[in-house]
Amino acid sequence: MSYDKILEVKDLVVEFKTDRGIVKAVNGVNFDVFKGKTIGIVGESGSGKSVTALAIMGLIPNPPGRIASGQILFNGKSLVNMEASEMRKIRGNKIAMIFQEPMTSLNPVFTIGNQIEEVIELHQPHLSNIERQAKAVDMLRLVGIPSPEKRVNEYPHQLSGGMRQRVMIAIALSCEPDVLIADEPTTALDVTIQAQILELMKKLQKELGMGIILITHDLGVVAETCDSVSVMYCGQIVESADVETLFNHPTHPYTKGLMDSIPSFDSTSGHKKERLQTIEGMVPSLFNLPNGCNFQDRCSKVTESCRGMKGDPVLKPSKGEGHFVACFNPLS
Amino acid sequence: MSTEVKQSKSLLHSALLKVISEKLSLIALIIVGIYFLVAILTSAGILASDWNKEVGASYMPPSSSIIFGTDIFGRSVFQKVVKATETAVAIGIVVSCISILIGTTMGMIAGYFGGFIDELIVWFYTTFSSIPSIMLLVAIAFILGKGTMTVFLSLGVTSWVGLCRIVRAEVMKHKEREYVHAANAIGATHSRKLIKHILPNISHLLIINFTQTFDAAVKSEVILSFLGLGVVGRPSWGTMIDDSKLELSRGVWWQLAAATLAMFVIVLAFNILGDALRDALDPKLKGK
Amino acid sequence: MNLYLYIFRRLLYVIPVLFGVCLVIFVLFNLVAPDPAYTLLGKHATIQQINELHHELGMDKPFIVQYLDTVKTAFTFDFGYSWASKQNIWDMIKAGAGPSLSITGPLYILSSLLSISLALLVAYFRGKFIDKFVLVLSIVGLSIPSLAIILFGQWFFAYKLGWFEISGYENGFPNFIPYVILPIILYVFIFFGGDTRFYRAVILDEAYQDYVRTARSKGLSEYKVMFKHVLKNSMIPILTNLIIQIPSLILGLLLAETFFSIPGLGAMVVKAINNSDFPVIKAMTILSAFGFILFNVLTDVLYTVVDPRMKLK
Repeated sequence: MSYDKILEVKDLVVEFKTDRGIVKAVNGVNFDVFKGKTIGIVGESGSGKSVTALAIMGLIPNPPGRIASGQILFNGKSLVNMEASEMRKIRGNKIAMIFQEPMTSLNPVFTIGNQIEEVIELHQPHLSNIERQAKAVDMLRLVGIPSPEKRVNEYPHQLSGGMRQRVMIAIALSCEPDVLIADEPTTALDVTIQAQILELMKKLQKELGMGIILITHDLGVVAETCDSVSVMYCGQIVESADVETLFNHPTHPYTKGLMDSIPSFDSTSGHKKERLQTIEGMVPSLFNLPNGCNFQDRCSKVTESCRGMKGDPVLKPSKGEGHFVACFNPLS
Repeated sequence: MSTEVKQSKSLLHSALLKVISEKLSLIALIIVGIYFLVAILTSAGILASDWNKEVGASYMPPSSSIIFGTDIFGRSVFQKVVKATETAVAIGIVVSCISILIGTTMGMIAGYFGGFIDELIVWFYTTFSSIPSIMLLVAIAFILGKGTMTVFLSLGVTSWVGLCRIVRAEVMKHKEREYVHAANAIGATHSRKLIKHILPNISHLLIINFTQTFDAAVKSEVILSFLGLGVVGRPSWGTMIDDSKLELSRGVWWQLAAATLAMFVIVLAFNILGDALRDALDPKLKGK
Repeated sequence: MNLYLYIFRRLLYVIPVLFGVCLVIFVLFNLVAPDPAYTLLGKHATIQQINELHHELGMDKPFIVQYLDTVKTAFTFDFGYSWASKQNIWDMIKAGAGPSLSITGPLYILSSLLSISLALLVAYFRGKFIDKFVLVLSIVGLSIPSLAIILFGQWFFAYKLGWFEISGYENGFPNFIPYVILPIILYVFIFFGGDTRFYRAVILDEAYQDYVRTARSKGLSEYKVMFKHVLKNSMIPILTNLIIQIPSLILGLLLAETFFSIPGLGAMVVKAINNSDFPVIKAMTILSAFGFILFNVLTDVLYTVVDPRMKLK
C-alpha cells in the first residue's frame, strides 16, 4: 500500500495577466505524489515551484492568475474546477501547506492555540471545546514545543522563528492531511534549526503516512529528505528521477550545474574537493523566452540545434527506470 | 556608495514612465499641466488681463456670449475663474514649498543627529500638531493681517508636521545604511552626507508630499476666505465660492458653480496624480 | 509593567507638550498679536485709556508672569470674559457644547459606520467593479470644496425643495432634530471620501499579509478570512482614527453651524474670529489642544489592549 498515488498533477499550466502581457508561470508540469513518500521540487526563484504549490491548494490569486489548462487529481478527483465550498473542505484538511516565512505567516493578534483550534474547529466540528483545546496542546507537543500547555496561550511574537515554523506544522498537520505541501519550510531558519524541522517532518511523515511535496532551492535538503525529485526551470520540469539516480547520474546540464554549485567535502580527508562551480548568467525573463531550449544561454553543452529547435524540449525517458529528462543534448 | 543614489534616480524615472503609461494618470498630468500653463499666461498678462472690466449688467446669467455669466459688478465670471487659477496655483506651489522646506529640514536634522536635538524637534512638532490647525491658521492670519502673503505663510507653516515625521523616520533608517557608512569612511561632513547622500534617497517622499499639500492648500484657501482671511485684490476660487453665499438665494448660482468646477478638476487631477505617483514611487505607502 | 503605571508614564510625557502648547499660544496671542487696544477702544483712545486697558488685561506684567497666567488658565479652565459679549467664556462654552454635539455626535457615528462598512465591503470585493466605483466616488467627493457642498446643499435641499429647515435651532431633544438633519447629511458626504479611502487602504494593507494566505490555506471561507483575521488586525489604525476624531467633535463645525445658524461652538469661534475676540479664540485653542493630547494618550493605551505585540514600555 505504500505506493498509493494520492495526488496527480497533469500538464498543469498557470497563467498570470500582467501589464506586459500574459505570462505562463507554470507551463505543462507533471508529477505524482505517493502516500508516505516525499517528492522534492527544486529550482531557482521564479521557476514556478511556489505557483505550482498554490495551484494545488487552489490559492492562485485570481485575478491576475488562473489555471489555464491541465489537471490536478486528488484521489482521482479533479481539484481544478471544484466548487469553492468543496475545495475549502479539502484545503487545510486533506491537503495542507506550510510556508516559507514563519515570522509573518501566523496572525499576530491571535494566540497560537487559537490558530490551531481554528483549523480543527473548521474540519472536525464534532469535537467539543475541551477536546479541541486538548488536541491543540497535543499538536504542539507532537511538533516538539516544550511545555505546550503554557505555550498554547502565547502570541506568535513571543516565539522564535523555529518555534513558529513548528506551530505552522502543527496547524498543517492537525487534521492529519493526506498531502503536505512545504514551500521552502526551512529557508528562513538557522542551519541547526533547519535540520531539526526537516527531521521533525520526516518523523511525522512516518507516523501519519502523508505524502509530502517539498519545495526548495536547496539540493542538500532534497538529498536528505526526498524520495524523488523534479527539477524545474522556467515553469517546466527539466528532469525528474528518484533521488539516487538524480544525484548519481544527473543528465540535464542544469541539474548538473545545480549539483556542482553545492559545496562538497571529501569524505576521507575532510578537505574541500574543488572550486565551486556556478551556473553562468541569469534565469531568462518569462516575457522573453528564447526559441528552443530555455536553458540555452547558460548551458555548457549548448549546440546550434538547441537554439534552432522549434518548441521546448519535452521530457523523455532516460537511462534507468522512472528517469526523465527534457534536453536536446543530454549528458551521457 | 552612489549606487543607492542612482537607484533612486532610476526609480523616479521609472515612476514617471509608469505615470505616463497609464491613461488616467496621464490625463491627470495633462490637466495639471494645462492649469499651470493658464496660471503662467495669466500672470504674464496674456490671459484674463481685463478680468476687472465690466462686460455687462450685474448678475447676468450664463449665455452664449458670457459663458459663466457676470458677478455683482458685471464682471465676467469666466475671466475671474481663469484669473483665479493663478492665485490657486501660486498658493499650491508656495505653500507646498514652505511645508517641504520646514518639514524636510527639521525631519532630516532630527533623524540624523538624534539625541537631544531629536527630542527637541519631536517635542516641537508634537506641540504644534496638538493645536488644531484651523486655530493656528486663524492665529497666524490675525498676526500677519489680511493678504495673499498671509495665506501663503499661514497654510505653509501649518502643514509641515506630517512630512517632518516621515522624513525623520526615513532618515533614521538611511543613516545606518552602508552607503552612509561609506561616505563616513571617506570623511564626508554631516551636511554633505545629509544633502548629497541621504536627501536624494528620500526625494520620492517630497514629491508625494507635494501633491498632497498642493491639494490641501487649494482647498484650505476656501475656508480662509470664508473666515475673511483670504486673498485680497485679486480673484480666488475661495472668495468666489464665499461670495456666492449671498447670491444663491437670488438664484445666482453660476459664480459658485464655475469656481467649484474649476477647483474640483484640478484637485481631482492632483488626487489621481498623487495616488499614481505614490503607487509608483513607494509601494509600501499604497493608499495611505 | 502594569497598565496603570504605563498610563501614568504616558501622562507624565504629556506635561512638556502641554507647556509647549501654552507657550505657542502665549507667543501668538501675547507677544506677536497686534495690540487689542485698537479693537477694544477704537481709534480715538487716549494713552491713559490704553494703559488702563493694558493693566486690566495683565499686559503690563512681565512676560514670564503672563506665560504662567496662560498655563494657569489652561489648568483651571478660567478663561475670563469675552471681549465682544462680556460673557464668561466657560459659560459660553458650556452653552455651545450641546448644540455642537447634537450635530457632531450623530454625524460621527453615522459617517464612521458608513465608511468602515463600505471599506470592508470594497476590500472584500477588491479589484471588482464595486471597489472601483466606491474608490472613484470617494476621490470625487474628496475633491469638492466643503463650503461649496454646504452652500449648494442648503440652497437646493432646504431653500429650493423645502425638505429641511433652512436655518435655526431649538434647544433640547427632540426639538433640535429638524434643524440638524441636513447639516448631518451634508457632512456625512463631506467626510465620506477621505474616511472611506483611509479605511480601505488600512484594510487592504492587511489583506495582502502572509497570515491571510495561511488563513486561506486552512480552508477558511473568504468571509471568515476578512471579518476575523483581517478586521482584527486593521482594528488598530481604525481605532486610532476613530478616537483621534473625538476632540474635534467638541470643537464643532465652523461652516455648518454658521450657515445653519446653530448656536454651537463652531459658530462661536467664527464669530470670535470676525470680532477679533482673542480670549474666546485662545480658550477654544487651549481646550481643543488639550482634548487632542488626552485622546492621543487614550489611543496609546488602547493599543496595548488591542495589540498583543505592543509591549508596555
